[in-house]
Amino acid sequence: MNAIALLMGLLVLSYLGSFLVSRRSAGGLGLPSGIEYVTLGFALGPHALDLVAARDISAFEPVAQVALGWLAFGLGLDFGFANEKRVRLSRIALASFGALLTGCAVAGATGYLVQRLGVGANPTDRILLAGGVAAVCCETTRHSIAWVVGTQKVWGPLATVINDIAHADDFLPLVAVAILFALDPSQGITLPVPIRDWSLVTAALGLVLGAGAALLMRSEMPVEDTWAALFGVSLLVIGTAARLALSTLTASFFMGLAVSAFSRRGARLRAMVGPTEHPVLLPALVLAGARVDFRVTGALPWIAVVAIGVRLVTKVVLGWALAAGSRPARKAGPLVGLSLSSSGALSMCIGLAFALRFPGLVGDSVLAVAILSAVVGEFVGPARLRRALLAAGELEETSPSPEPGHVAA
Amino acid sequence: MTASALRRGVTPWLSHAALLLAFGALTFYATRIVHEEQGRLWSIAAIGFLLLAGTLASELVAPFGLPHLTGYLLAGIAAGPHALGIVDAHTVKSLSPINTLALSLIALAGGAELELGAVRKWARSLAFAIAVQTAVVFVVAAITFLLARPLIPFARGLGPWPALGIALCWAALAVTRSPSATLGILSQTRASGVLANFTLAFVMVSDVVVVVLVATVLGVARPLIDPSAHFSLDAFVVLAHELFGSVALGTTLGLVIAAYLRLVNRQMLVVLLVLGFGVSTVLDYLRFDALLTFMVAGFVVRNLSQQGQKFIHYIEQTGTVVYVVFFAIAGADLDVPLIRALWPVALILGGARASATWVASRAACAIARDPPTLLRWAWSGLVSQAGLTIGLSLVIAREFPAIGTEFRSLVIATVAVNEMLGPVLFKLALDRAGETASNRNSAFPPALVPSDEIR
Repeated sequence: MNAIALLMGLLVLSYLGSFLVSRRSAGGLGLPSGIEYVTLGFALGPHALDLVAARDISAFEPVAQVALGWLAFGLGLDFGFANEKRVRLSRIALASFGALLTGCAVAGATGYLVQRLGVGANPTDRILLAGGVAAVCCETTRHSIAWVVGTQKVWGPLATVINDIAHADDFLPLVAVAILFALDPSQGITLPVPIRDWSLVTAALGLVLGAGAALLMRSEMPVEDTWAALFGVSLLVIGTAARLALSTLTASFFMGLAVSAFSRRGARLRAMVGPTEHPVLLPALVLAGARVDFRVTGALPWIAVVAIGVRLVTKVVLGWALAAGSRPARKAGPLVGLSLSSSGALSMCIGLAFALRFPGLVGDSVLAVAILSAVVGEFVGPARLRRALLAAGELEETSPSPEPGHVAA
Repeated sequence: MTASALRRGVTPWLSHAALLLAFGALTFYATRIVHEEQGRLWSIAAIGFLLLAGTLASELVAPFGLPHLTGYLLAGIAAGPHALGIVDAHTVKSLSPINTLALSLIALAGGAELELGAVRKWARSLAFAIAVQTAVVFVVAAITFLLARPLIPFARGLGPWPALGIALCWAALAVTRSPSATLGILSQTRASGVLANFTLAFVMVSDVVVVVLVATVLGVARPLIDPSAHFSLDAFVVLAHELFGSVALGTTLGLVIAAYLRLVNRQMLVVLLVLGFGVSTVLDYLRFDALLTFMVAGFVVRNLSQQGQKFIHYIEQTGTVVYVVFFAIAGADLDVPLIRALWPVALILGGARASATWVASRAACAIARDPPTLLRWAWSGLVSQAGLTIGLSLVIAREFPAIGTEFRSLVIATVAVNEMLGPVLFKLALDRAGETASNRNSAFPPALVPSDEIR
């Protein structure tokens, strides 16, 4: 398959993705994590059927970077909002605490394991590996609730709480990615900046250019000019971050935050950018699947088992804490925390970003764990969420939602 | 103008200028502090910067009555390898797929804007204009080239017959116009009227004439330049294959688009991307003319189906991004040192071409008894030249490798002059003719005739 055929394939996927925008929430079409597209990419990729050669995938790195940056920009623009309503600060704090707890626990366990197994050539590799695995295990996919609740118009309090948490836990993993990328700065940079400050430069790049974009869009402009401004600033952020070897994901996320904060047309911009998520995500997921190499190290199964196991345990702990402080969560039982175990778009994007930035042991391992975690989350998350919502009386038994793990037609 | 109104106009201008400076400074700084390791990734930032800088520059030049295209070009030149170096030569080359996509969308838009009824009504005027323009510009351009031969380094030492052969090639290129510049100006000004419609129809139809003319001239010039070669009709067989193939494929493509719009009518942006990249690759493989194919496709959707307005609406949505990127890349691609070296001769050749265009336009309009708007302004939209001319110059350069590089350099220098001045002239004419959206909506009466003057 040559590059043009691959490009056409990605565009066709993008086309299909655009159809899913309106249908996914309506009928549970596909899986909340989008793991089926990763599987498709893996099947076509050089480590399975080899229909897409490794060099063709490398040629698409700019496309993958743009897709990742655009998705992160959308996340930033939408951060702190769920169903177009502002998420309460207490819930943002709770979600961030949950992500921090999960991340620290997974990083600690993975770090200990890779140290014991002697994985990685040097301490930086081990930190990057443990940190990357932690970053991909932090979040809960924002689509999990909509996927289970489906077309139900009125959401109960538990569904709202979980949805808010799922929408507000993206900040910490993305900051972690910026810090981790800063540990291995580009050798070509002539600017003497201490390593610790590169993560601040990442955030500042996004914030400054995002503020510039908001200023540019201050006056009324036609929709096509708004697109030109958004695309222009996004591409500039992505390209500049890539040149400086910084995290394109984090810089774009902060750009989205700045646009959302400084622009008076935030709601309109969210409405414009939101529908582009799936058309961009699907090709990115396929590229992620095509890149993944499960044989990168013999220690990968152990790393994956430990990381995902610790992730699930931490979610259970979080669920207990949630049940203690929230009446609707209490009704759902102590395992309500497992409802938060669906991971998806962001995890996969972080995994792909690692694979692009640190090709080889670190990148491939992080991407593989992101995928495996999404697969496990797919079996556990929606089932527990459905059970929790039923227990809380927020979902009817006859609700047409498909069984977990089942790919609806 | 009151002080507050002045402030309202100046403040956005200043904020746009400040933003352009800020974005430019940041991007320039990024190129200076990091030695490029991954050129492919910098092309992402390059597109972003060109998009932003072009949009902002177009706002900055607008108060001076200049078209947005001038802003896009200036932004590209400033960012390009010969000025700030934000977009280096390698990056400009790597952006060629984006250019291909943009050109295909521009050609689709061009075809979709052409209305069969209007073309029929103006058939007489168009026929006269194309015949007279082609003849006069061709002859004047060839003579000027021969007269200016002492100033042209690569032509100075040529004998009379090879010089005539090169002059004919030059003249064939002089007849080319710029569909992209015409559409860019019309898209920005949302102009509507006799001048806008006539110019669009002329430029689109002349594309076919030019392709035939270049092939004919190549056949004639070959034995003049290379005495060992002889006249052959083979080129015409290839040309016929290219033209008929392009029209056939364009018609099929147009019908497919029309069917899609009727049956599905969703996600047209992705469909346009697939068409731009995928069909362009197929056309390249088949050696068909992409511009003609997409133009015919647009024309078919507009005139042979009920989906024309829908299609135009979708195409217009991509308008700003496509034109900014296309012309900003064209600006970045301009070889400024070359223009500096060749500007006197480029100015002479460009001036002669513009004068010939003016004379031919007046003559053709007088013969066809066209309305005063056309008599006065029809030439203005025919001065621009851009990618089509440079593309055809590449064909000629490949055909005659001994003088190819220098010939192409001269073409690029002359096209640069026409590319900068042409859009300014066309916008000025549309403004004066009262056909731009702002003029149509203003209380100020249109300068000349109403749009439905030609019947």
